[in-house]
Amino acid sequence: MEDGPVSNAMKFLVVDDFSTMRRIVKGLLGELGYTDVTEADDGNTALPLLKNGEFDFLITDWNMPGMPGLDLLKAVRSDAKLAKLPVLMLTAEAKREQIIEAAQAGVSGYVIKPFTADTLKEKIDKILSSKAAA
Amino acid sequence: MSKEEPLHERYRSHVDALALALDANDEATFRIAFDRLRAQLNVEFNPELKRITAEAQSALRRFREQARLEVLADQEVPDARRRLAHVVKLTEEAAHRTLDLVEQSSPLVDRVALAASQLLEEWGLHGSRQLAVSSMWPERAIETLERAMRDAEHVRRYLSQMLLAQGYQDLSGQIVNAVIKLVLELEKVLGELVSLASGEDTRRMPALKLEQTQPQPVSDTTAGPKVPGVAGTSQFVDDQADIDALLASVSGPR
Repeated sequence: MEDGPVSNAMKFLVVDDFSTMRRIVKGLLGELGYTDVTEADDGNTALPLLKNGEFDFLITDWNMPGMPGLDLLKAVRSDAKLAKLPVLMLTAEAKREQIIEAAQAGVSGYVIKPFTADTLKEKIDKILSSKAAA
Repeated sequence: MSKEEPLHERYRSHVDALALALDANDEATFRIAFDRLRAQLNVEFNPELKRITAEAQSALRRFREQARLEVLADQEVPDARRRLAHVVKLTEEAAHRTLDLVEQSSPLVDRVALAASQLLEEWGLHGSRQLAVSSMWPERAIETLERAMRDAEHVRRYLSQMLLAQGYQDLSGQIVNAVIKLVLELEKVLGELVSLASGEDTRRMPALKLEQTQPQPVSDTTAGPKVPGVAGTSQFVDDQADIDALLASVSGPR
């Protein structure tokens, strides 16, 4: 993260059952200039927020009680209003079959924990570039 | 009638009735007498059959518990030990990383504070803006401010890395949750074994739930963080580049 923060109006939703991880991601997004960040602790809490909140980007963990990240991803992709929402999976789940499952469900990017700030920035930038080009 | 009664008292009437019906070639009466004898035999032998069944079930249960205990002792408890050792390593590394970053930040902050204080002192000594401008002060001030900006940028990066270092709590929390689940299962199995050993009536106990051999994290479909040395880690990707390649090879509705 060599660049200083540049203010950006995009709305992010960060979903993780560990509050420390939500704070970390929120802090890193702030450094990237993304200051409009909402938090949720699982898919069940996140989904109504997504349906009503006009979010531009979803960052979600996989392994959460209640609704896990994969189910949230599937719910997003099957909702006409949310289907095109960029979804970045940020998780400790590193099994090959799980990553393939997430890809088949339509994940936009997948970052494995522990991660670096540069990796997070690179994946967000890549997803946003692809979206802009589409 | 009970077993304590002499044999002839328990069966004489049945045998007489059967003999009479047989002599009279009365099949209907013979069948009735026979059914009564059978009912009498059931009353006497059913409790014994139930006892034998219960003992067989108990032996089967013991066998299953011993098999499960073997898996727990051979694989899952050592895995749990490795998981906890990994948590200790994660927390230690995060603590050292944070302490290193604090130690790297402190002199930078001290240097900025000292330089600012020296500038202020000199500004006070000059006594007026005109004198200050005519001396070397402006050049020194610019140099100090530029250095302060560089130091502040370093400190900002260190703070960002400190933030990331706290991610250990998420990973270690997931690993500890999986171990807690295993301990809970061990507690159930051992509790039931203690009850069996003390001769408690096993028919009143809740059935032992035999679970998968791998301790599971919150969701049963997930594997949790990769822990070196723990069974099944060969199915995990090595790093972020491995994931990127895997994602690129799979198409989905992205």
